Amino acid sequence: MNSERCAACKYLRRRCPSDCIFAPYFPSNNPQRFACVHKIYGASNVGKMLQQLPTHKRVQAANSLYYEAQCRIQDPVYGCVGIISLLLQQIHNAENQLAKTQAEIAVLSNSHTQDSQFQQNFLLQQGNVGQSSSPSTQPSSWFK
Amino acid sequence: MSATVNPSSSGGSGSSCGGGGGSSSSSGGSGPCGACKFLRRKCVPGCIFAPYFDSEQGAAHFAAVHKVFGASNVSKLLLHIPVHKRLDAVVTVCYEAQARLRDPVYGCVSHIFALQQQVVNLQAELSYLQTHLATLELPSPPAPPPPPATLVTSPPLSIADLPSASSVPTTYDLSSLFDPMTQPSWAMQQRQMDPRQFGGSTGSSSATSGGGDLQSLARELLHRNGSPPQGSMSCTGSLSSPSISKRD
Repeated sequence: MNSERCAACKYLRRRCPSDCIFAPYFPSNNPQRFACVHKIYGASNVGKMLQQLPTHKRVQAANSLYYEAQCRIQDPVYGCVGIISLLLQQIHNAENQLAKTQAEIAVLSNSHTQDSQFQQNFLLQQGNVGQSSSPSTQPSSWFK
Repeated sequence: MSATVNPSSSGGSGSSCGGGGGSSSSSGGSGPCGACKFLRRKCVPGCIFAPYFDSEQGAAHFAAVHKVFGASNVSKLLLHIPVHKRLDAVVTVCYEAQARLRDPVYGCVSHIFALQQQVVNLQAELSYLQTHLATLELPSPPAPPPPPATLVTSPPLSIADLPSASSVPTTYDLSSLFDPMTQPSWAMQQRQMDPRQFGGSTGSSSATSGGGDLQSLARELLHRNGSPPQGSMSCTGSLSSPSISKRD
């Protein structure tokens, strides 16, 4: 029998029942995790939210609640929205850089294409000049 | 959908606790604020919610906030925030509450996942193109490497991969976060995501349609606060905590 209370029940100073909703997601070795979540959402709200979910989805729910709670504690005004803003800025910067690089590639590609076409035309012209310079007269027919 | 500043309040984000004679909508003026209406309690002068939740549509917004966070927790949160920042805090709290109700498993973290994936994809594409550019710039460039079969080959993200609040810039435009232009790309990105990350896409698709509601909420709040939607807002929250490291 496991007599150790989960982090939630330890924090709330109550007995931890065998079917405690918090126990699988707030182990006793990480008290700060529950403290964060409780500070922002409250144990009751967290418990209700987890109860409404199927068991196999509760882990991710608990993790996302912890992440959001941490964001809100670190930034009480903007919380997760601060992270969203950061990511939007990164996307904006990357798209600008991408457009700039694509433009540079286009310029260089065009430049190389023009160079190779010029060389090809030059070689063709050289070949035509060589063929036209061979003599074709027959001097013996002049003396008949 | 709008949690508007009550017309009776003075100058937008008037403090509800700093002599709220002109800053709250309580008692006798226009009735209780949306929060007190929802909670069915007397809206006292200086009610902390009154400047941000009007008695008409504010109650609906507050319902979401109360369901997710709880009135008491939000009240404590707002009390610890300077008055001039409370409007932003209310907007973001409303956003997170709505996102959590739409997606009870991931909340707004699903949006963060999608954006993070988009960042990763863009950076991979940029890296490839920069390599290609480098080969073109050589005197006798070799044949360019074939493009990768797919640029979207990054492993599925976990919460531990997400950025932390310590890397947030100090200023940004809050209203742009609810710009519908950012929603379609996010929605498209959602469709490319590994469904195992979310265990279902119902929440994410509805979050896209809800972005318009949140956009109007943000615009109205910001406009009534005297800040134009395109204006920048400074974020001066303390960002010295360590980054998130717990793996799921």
